[in-house]
Amino acid sequence: MSIQMSRRGMLQAAAAAGAAAALPFGLSSHAAAEEALTVFGPLPPDPAPPGAAKFSEAAFEAWKKAHGASVTYDLLAWPQLHDRMATAFASGSAPWDVIYMCGWVPEFVSFLTPFADELPKSLVDDLPASSFETVTWQGKRYGAIFTLSLLTLFYNKEHLAEVGFNEAPKNWDEFKRATKELTRNGRFGFVANYGDPAGIGGTASYWMAFLQQAGGKMYGEDGMPVFKSDAGVAALQMMMDLMAAGTDPGSISYASINDSTNVLLAGRASMMMNWPFMWNAAQDPAQSQIVGKLASAILPAGPAGSASIDGTDAWTVSKASKNPALARQLVEFYLDAEVQKRQALDTGWLPIRLSVLADPEVQQKLPNAAVVLEQAKHPYNSFVTPDFNQVTQAVGTEVQKALQGQKTAAQAIADASDLVTAIVKRRG
Amino acid sequence: MASQATFEQRRRSAGLFLVAPAIVVLLAILGYPILESMMLALQRVQLNAGEIQRSFIGLGNFQRLLADETFRHAALNTLYFSVAEVVLVVVLGFGVALLLNHPLGRPGFFRILLVVPWAIAPVANAVLWKWILNANYGVLNGILQSLGLIDYYQVWLGSPFSALNFLLLVDVWKSVPFVALLLLAGLQRVPSILYRAAYMDGASRLQAFRHVTLPSMRGAVAIAVVLQTIWSLRVFDLVFVLTRGGPADATVLLNFLAYRVTFNFLDIGYGAAIANVIFVLTLLLAILYIRLVRPAEGAAR
Amino acid sequence: MSYALYRRGGPGLRLVTIVGLVLFVVWSAAPVVWLILSSLLQQKALIARPPDLSPANLTLDNFVTVVASAAALGRGILNSLIVALFSTAVALALGAPAAYALARLSVPRANAIAFLVLATQMLPSIAIAIPLFLVISRIGLIDNVFSLGVVYLSFNLPIVIWILRGFFLGIPAGLEKAAAIDGAGVLRTFWHIVLPISIPPLGAAAVFAFVEAWNEFFFALILTRQSAQTVPLVIAAFAGQYQTVFGQMMAAALISVVPVIVLAVVFRDWIVRGFADGMMKG
Repeated sequence: MSIQMSRRGMLQAAAAAGAAAALPFGLSSHAAAEEALTVFGPLPPDPAPPGAAKFSEAAFEAWKKAHGASVTYDLLAWPQLHDRMATAFASGSAPWDVIYMCGWVPEFVSFLTPFADELPKSLVDDLPASSFETVTWQGKRYGAIFTLSLLTLFYNKEHLAEVGFNEAPKNWDEFKRATKELTRNGRFGFVANYGDPAGIGGTASYWMAFLQQAGGKMYGEDGMPVFKSDAGVAALQMMMDLMAAGTDPGSISYASINDSTNVLLAGRASMMMNWPFMWNAAQDPAQSQIVGKLASAILPAGPAGSASIDGTDAWTVSKASKNPALARQLVEFYLDAEVQKRQALDTGWLPIRLSVLADPEVQQKLPNAAVVLEQAKHPYNSFVTPDFNQVTQAVGTEVQKALQGQKTAAQAIADASDLVTAIVKRRG
Repeated sequence: MASQATFEQRRRSAGLFLVAPAIVVLLAILGYPILESMMLALQRVQLNAGEIQRSFIGLGNFQRLLADETFRHAALNTLYFSVAEVVLVVVLGFGVALLLNHPLGRPGFFRILLVVPWAIAPVANAVLWKWILNANYGVLNGILQSLGLIDYYQVWLGSPFSALNFLLLVDVWKSVPFVALLLLAGLQRVPSILYRAAYMDGASRLQAFRHVTLPSMRGAVAIAVVLQTIWSLRVFDLVFVLTRGGPADATVLLNFLAYRVTFNFLDIGYGAAIANVIFVLTLLLAILYIRLVRPAEGAAR
Repeated sequence: MSYALYRRGGPGLRLVTIVGLVLFVVWSAAPVVWLILSSLLQQKALIARPPDLSPANLTLDNFVTVVASAAALGRGILNSLIVALFSTAVALALGAPAAYALARLSVPRANAIAFLVLATQMLPSIAIAIPLFLVISRIGLIDNVFSLGVVYLSFNLPIVIWILRGFFLGIPAGLEKAAAIDGAGVLRTFWHIVLPISIPPLGAAAVFAFVEAWNEFFFALILTRQSAQTVPLVIAAFAGQYQTVFGQMMAAALISVVPVIVLAVVFRDWIVRGFADGMMKG
């Protein structure tokens, strides 16, 4: 392969040489121009970067020009991201500079650089401190969340009004009562996607939200599971009670959130835990029969108050990047206040910057922004670890067994705890 | 005698000349990956510090399999699934081939329709069936209810037995076309002179089927059975889209488990061990089938 | 009873055949009909209960959206065509002679070789994906349609060999002997005698290789990036994390099936007709 380099490329290459020389491996195919960046991320309508999704396109062009950079997008449907990444990493190569991650930072941390520790203070101060929880490993920050994506409660105002609820249920008891009363006329009070046990948005992660509402947590200081507790059992019992009270029985078979969202959008379920992105879909008359009827509220409080989980859509920078400084600047551009605002207004993905979340224009266009911001004041840990997939697979499967009546809540939690202990020990 | 030897020799060298390119190509593509996957099965593989760390642990992964409840479960599911699928696909495929070989089934329309289920991209096919089977808005529920066959919408993918059998149904639907095509090609190779002879001898149609059709089809059926066995043991995409192995691991098949362990858990050595179990199982079954049909081949010659 | 009637069967058999054909059509077509309807309806209508098929909900929007975003789809179809045609052609060109040699020519240990060829199919592709990726990325051929086509030979070639070998085994030995007595060499016998009477199995093998390459997903996922992306990846893109635009996905799937059906229409007489019948009588 012939290597062609512009003058500026040479200069930048020289500047980056120090960093590049220290890297364990390089990629010849990307050596053509040092100012070239490759970004790996999801296709829209999942949270795609500017230029890929339709927002801030002019600003993106201007940024590239100003930095003498070319940016290549390698975009893939969200469900396949992890497979392609895993194959590349397992073969020892990471052909991308900037990489999208969703709870996978601890898993792939050895391929990433802790670039977020170098983000300007003015930017970091404008981000919720807890947003770094899922992208921090052993004290270093490897990623920057770019959209505030927390589970909140979505509900059909009309249905709730019919049974005398003028606002969303505030606590577990009200939640159960509402679910029971709303289950009538061929409708269900609640719907969820309990079909896929693993990952963010899988059965286990829903239980994690209830766990924190009950005041529990997954791991102790030593990294070993501590959820075999009253809180762990109460969380699962709550899910089972909701099931009995009037959760769509199909929930156990809905393997993706789209399956359950459709039930809510068809008006045959009244409540659902869902992500902020859902808001725009519900207002689209081509796919929703409940346009204008949807409202959102923070998740009902358990014994310890409200709590949620983090959808954790983050940008990271590859350790193998030839131009980590430029890669960091690209992420800073993605987090630029104006870009964040367009992201919210044009795509429906909420910003992560607190100043933009508070922007009246954003709040008016996306009324759920205020709710998500309120939810962010409560815990929203997703408990990601290097073996997150394995842990959530094990926990989620036990939760499914309990939901199907094969096990009691206490049994399922005890078994899940044993499984997770074995997984954590094997990691060593 | 001398010319006979030359004839045989010529056939042998021509044979080697004809077979070599294919073998070389196959070895070049698959040699290393297959050996490597067998090596991986004997190792503990971890992603660390930007590179893979591997340590040789002998049969450690296979010992782990023995104690792994999910694996045992997956093996049983796979056994049921594969046996049922091979039987259903070959029987239905044979039936369809007979239909399309009958003068009434000759119009091109049928042959084109035959190819369609198989030609639909599996990713879309799986999503199509997920919608058809949906517990809340699936059209299957809608049709069955309007026909009065069910009172309430059923959660087809909600209980272990039902979910596994619906996976089976969808995979059978997708797999029948190729086997039918293969057997149809086989039926058309049955020399019509044999039927004419049967007719002359006054054999009934059923007798002709038993004594002319079936024996001539043995080779084609054997190929169909072997290939379908291989494919049934490798089913993955349907599980991935329709059930994710759920509910509660009820529909986990071995190849899906190998995928999950390798790509979701990044436990690459353990995943390779599961894949190699599939390999050995398939190999044993294939040897069995081939032993069973070999006498027939000899007789045909 | 005349011979023609004997072959066609009496009224009983005709009835059974007609019922069977009707069941076959319903079984094969019903899900496809639903696929087509889905591609013509808004999502709102599809999640109604029962699905709302009123004409007001019919729309071509799904196709418009898919075609408008179709830089990807067009490129995907082109890539898939190249990959599938390349892989099919090479698999037949290498596989048919190899199958013939393994079936009819006195290759030493022919059965063992044939079995080893088949054995390569018994290891799931998941197991070889990572090593294969490693090799292909080392030689710099990630995201290349031809390297994908070559990888597809890893399943197409063995299956083609097995389909054809089975049929070649069934050729009466007298046919080749007669050709040999006429002075034809092995290669000429293969080309002029064996191949022409093997058109149905060749057609079945070709259709197999084409469809499998056309629809293959997993290798395409890990071995391509943007420029060599094939159709299944483009279709999969309609199913995201939060949203599956079902109608659009079905529209894309329908568009992607068209080339395969066109192929089936063009080659239907190739795939299936009693060529062999006529030839074998002689």
